[in-house]
Amino acid sequence: MTDVYSEFDHAAALANCARGEHDALHQLYVHEGARLLGVVIRIVKDRGMAEDIVHDACLNIWQHADSFDPAKGSARTWIFSVARHLALNAIRYRDREVTFDNHDPTELDLDEHFQHASVADEAFDWQTGQRMDSCLEALEPERRNCVLHAYVDGLSHAEIAAHTGAPLGTVKAWIKRSLLRLRECMA
Amino acid sequence: MSRPSQHEHQDDHTLAGEYVLGTLSLEQRKALEARLPNEPELQQAVMAWEERFLPYTAITDPVTPSDNLWPRIERSLASREALAKRARPASVVPPRPRRMLHSLPLWRGAAGFGLAAALVLGVMLANEVTEPTTPEYMVVLLAPQTQSAGWVVQASSRQEIELIPLGSFEVPEGKALEFWTKADEWQAPVSLGLVEPGQPIRLRLDELPPLEDNQLFELTLEDETGSPTGLPTGPIEFIGRAVEI
Repeated sequence: MTDVYSEFDHAAALANCARGEHDALHQLYVHEGARLLGVVIRIVKDRGMAEDIVHDACLNIWQHADSFDPAKGSARTWIFSVARHLALNAIRYRDREVTFDNHDPTELDLDEHFQHASVADEAFDWQTGQRMDSCLEALEPERRNCVLHAYVDGLSHAEIAAHTGAPLGTVKAWIKRSLLRLRECMA
Repeated sequence: MSRPSQHEHQDDHTLAGEYVLGTLSLEQRKALEARLPNEPELQQAVMAWEERFLPYTAITDPVTPSDNLWPRIERSLASREALAKRARPASVVPPRPRRMLHSLPLWRGAAGFGLAAALVLGVMLANEVTEPTTPEYMVVLLAPQTQSAGWVVQASSRQEIELIPLGSFEVPEGKALEFWTKADEWQAPVSLGLVEPGQPIRLRLDELPPLEDNQLFELTLEDETGSPTGLPTGPIEFIGRAVEI
């Protein structure tokens, strides 16, 4: 996979946001807005909520751009992690809250979505050309799927258990062990 | 939060990995986020997992945002800057926890119903005396499950609101209704105190920035002395968003 992101200087965009340049945030939005929305929709499975989260993420990025430290990680990673964690907190908050009976008709159905994803697993195009690929490759396929579905679909331990049919304790153990092995492999 | 939780005894690298994957519960996520500001090693562990997994965001297809999303972001930026320029003393700026990953965007799902319900209630609201020279806002608070209106918030100025009950509400023994608000840019909701079911109350928002369009209001069910954490912990009983009228 070619690095389509390299032509945009995310760190410079954040530095300009920190200086109060609206245009820097706009450039960032133009460049990454659709990818951010894609990542967030996949997690929250509701378009309206996903746009709200991208809105909040942009304001968060703007407000905290000055706290981004390039020594600690890449700017693009920082930007996506802001949006992902807003999305993850939102769905975990939703899960502990009342169930909305009147679902938005545009809301995606999780089961359908998951089945669709599972069907595609054989040809799950997850390889990115990064070193992590070979580490993921070394995991058993079902554990690799757990890890990738957790990351991409924002599934909790319980949701993975429900959808794979594996006991909750097993899923937790799979993920813990997979993370240990991935970290060793990347060390 | 001074007592170590069981998770602190786990391998922090694994915990950080689970946080980044997203498999942790809300409580576990909040516990980890609360540790982050003071634990540089945990920050590093989280960032390392973010870096490792980021390439896999490419699995998802990009989705073009609606045309109104950027204008909306720009409006929020502008209103935030207008607020900052007002140079209010620090003590009256709304509390903004340092943790940047805190937000409750879920509220908006229910709040979208506010406008339609406001139109339905137009006749009743027209009877209220208002001051035509100042911005006026109204919020209809709906029960999320039934979408029935339970309360109305009216603001005849941007610093004073009145919460008016539209019916009665049974509060379970040992519980109370707590009133909250959150504007778009705030990091967390702010408590406006406990309210008595069936009783109107008038509140000054002197401690808060002026009321703004789209600001969220909600009533949650909390312990009778109010939320122990300073943030909503119980179920949302009524929720709505401010509409300029």
